[in-house]
Amino acid sequence: MQLQDTSAPPPGSALPIWAAVELQDHLLVAGNDLDRLQRLLSDASEALLAHFYGANQALQPLLRDGAKDAGDGAAHAGSATAASHPQALQQALAHLAGAITAMQFQDMASQLVAHTGQRLRSCADRIARDTFADDEDEAVVEAPPLRPNPVTQDEMDAGSVELF
Amino acid sequence: MHSILAVDDSASMRQMVSFTLKNAGFNVVDAVDGQDAWEKASKADFDLVLTDQNMPRMDGIGLTKKLRETPKFKNTPILILTTESSDQMKQAGRAAGATGWLVKPFDPAKLVEVIGKVIR
Repeated sequence: MQLQDTSAPPPGSALPIWAAVELQDHLLVAGNDLDRLQRLLSDASEALLAHFYGANQALQPLLRDGAKDAGDGAAHAGSATAASHPQALQQALAHLAGAITAMQFQDMASQLVAHTGQRLRSCADRIARDTFADDEDEAVVEAPPLRPNPVTQDEMDAGSVELF
Repeated sequence: MHSILAVDDSASMRQMVSFTLKNAGFNVVDAVDGQDAWEKASKADFDLVLTDQNMPRMDGIGLTKKLRETPKFKNTPILILTTESSDQMKQAGRAAGATGWLVKPFDPAKLVEVIGKVIR
């Protein structure tokens, strides 16, 4: 029986088979990890949104009571109504509004992960085609992204506004 | 009450935009991509369209072009809210007929201020 020499690259390939297998394996694992990261981000975002809406809904009756108390002139000394703590209530609402900018991370991170995942899958497919495929026409290779990653931001500061 | 068509394929972005605009007193209708927005725009009138750029089926620039070809949306403000910040993309948006280009993430107060400036 004749064993294949895996230390030598197959004809037309620059990589020995064992190196191509290892490289492809790393790329596939990285791609799977990115898919898991995507699910984690999505789950975290859903939970954050639920708590965000919960906090906002909890504050709304206080806002209404505060407005009513202020209108009635009924903010008694010692009573913990919203009217007696208007500044704290406004601060809480300002914090919630401020969180909206940061909570857009899921959309941006998701686009970044999807783009990078496509690039990795394309590399893995190409290694498979170039190293293992007998017939290039039959190998299915995911196309690499045609454009650079659309997400260039590396922090969550509010973006620019341009009116034409 | 002004009515805004808000378009984004990200559910979390749609929720953030809706929350911000409803709190500011606008009526908001959501669409999940350009095609969905186009179908909704064909059936109703809107005072402003706020759309993402990168979406499946139809992107924001494609939607802008189609809306601008429609008489009832010829003068409606269209804002593109996207992660894209390259000059090339902005110019493409401008050429398509967009009113403005906003880069994500948005600041709620700034978004409401910009909409107040351009809405009719």
